[in-house]
Amino acid sequence: MTLAVLFAEAHGDVQAKNPILPETKELIWGGIAFLIVFSLLAWKAWPAIRQALADREARIRADLERAEQAKAEAEGVLADYQRQLAEARNEAGRIIEEARQAADQVRRDLIARAEAEAAEMRRRAAEDIRLASERAMADLQSRVAELSIELAEKIVERSLDRETQMALIENYINQVGSASS
Amino acid sequence: MHALVLAATEAGELRDGLAAIGAGLVYGLAAIGPGIGIGMVVSNAIQAMARQPEMAGPVRVTMFLGIAFTEALALFGFVLFFLAQG
Amino acid sequence: MILGAFEFPPIDELFRWKDVLLDDTPVAINKTAILMLVSATIVVVLFVGGSRRRRLIPGRLQNLLEVTYEFIDRGIARDVIGPEGARYTPFLGSLFLFILFTNWWSVMPFIQFPPTSRFGVPLYLALQTWVIYWFVGFRHHGIRYLTGHIFPAGVPKPLYLLVTPIELVQLLIVRPFSLAVRLLANMMAGHILLAALALLTAYALQNAPVIALGPFLLNIGVMAFEILVGFLQAYIFTLLTAVYIGDSLHPAH
Repeated sequence: MTLAVLFAEAHGDVQAKNPILPETKELIWGGIAFLIVFSLLAWKAWPAIRQALADREARIRADLERAEQAKAEAEGVLADYQRQLAEARNEAGRIIEEARQAADQVRRDLIARAEAEAAEMRRRAAEDIRLASERAMADLQSRVAELSIELAEKIVERSLDRETQMALIENYINQVGSASS
Repeated sequence: MHALVLAATEAGELRDGLAAIGAGLVYGLAAIGPGIGIGMVVSNAIQAMARQPEMAGPVRVTMFLGIAFTEALALFGFVLFFLAQG
Repeated sequence: MILGAFEFPPIDELFRWKDVLLDDTPVAINKTAILMLVSATIVVVLFVGGSRRRRLIPGRLQNLLEVTYEFIDRGIARDVIGPEGARYTPFLGSLFLFILFTNWWSVMPFIQFPPTSRFGVPLYLALQTWVIYWFVGFRHHGIRYLTGHIFPAGVPKPLYLLVTPIELVQLLIVRPFSLAVRLLANMMAGHILLAALALLTAYALQNAPVIALGPFLLNIGVMAFEILVGFLQAYIFTLLTAVYIGDSLHPAH
């Protein structure tokens, strides 16, 4: 069988038929050829191609989802850090404030104590002064009495002229003044 | 006159000639209507696509359907041409 | 006129081929049958072979297969039939590829004959579509598929006299017949045109070589056009099959 025979147009016996009328053999072979294509493609090709497309779609979707997730995670971590940072800052502020308050307290305490001490000292000093002056007054009284007695003795001992009297008083005042100073 | 014409032709020659004329007319006549129809289908489809480019896809599909249905009439004429010949 | 003596051969000679095997039996093999079997082999090798080794990043062939699949699945099956159309993607895809690859023989050098221009082939495909849409219609809607079509709702009763026969003829005859004839006539006309231009070129080369360039260039142009027609007819056949199946699934529209 040569190519020439294969592609030779039919003449003679089949000439009578109209070229537009269907021929059984061509209908049958058309059906066979189509069914070959359909069965093999439906069996092997279409599911594989659909699978490939579905796989790629799933893969891309998974990638996107993963990226989305990673982004969300990163955002979460960042928010966490920021929150922690803010907390730390608050904490630091709080500590400083507390320190300041504590220092204030201490200062106030110290001042109050110092004041109290000063007041106490003042009070004690005043007491001391009062006691000393009381003692001095007591001393003075006793001394005045003694001096009066002495004076009286002296007056009694000798007669007193005016000059002597004045000298005595002068003397007495000087004694008192030196005693009280 | 008719007798003269008929006498001048061989047997069946006139019949064959008329058949050939008829076959020639069949497709030409059958193509007129569908020609106008396809023109209308396509022109309206183009207008639709120009007005709403986002609908170009569905319009194109529908246009092909319209062309296919309209064209079928002309193609029946084409087939009839062969049948009229035989 | 220079071309006055040009004789166009009988159209029969452009379409009928000698049997080469099993002569004169109902399964005789001629050029038409051989070309269809070769088409089937090419499609199978391309698609089964191409989809064997799947990779995540597709090569050229895999890309082509995936684009074809998307074109059928999204562009035809789901768009026309609806979400449940995905079930029919394998059938529609095989139909499209088979018609496409048999159509394109019309422009293949040294072959130049589309098997789809023999009525048997489109007739088989159309009858197949016919069987499928009737089957789908009856499986999903029972007898209401038929009654719903020939007695459409909302039509005044007396009009049934007119509508019912039309719808019945439409469902039974017009649909498959127009499907088959559309494909047949387009491929046949293209083939006749190409043959005429080729014969004209050959004739002019022998008698007046100067003007042979005209029909030759025209022939090239028509061949390019035939590639488009081959694609378009495969697309329309598949699209209409999808439309008919969709109509059987949802007869409302």
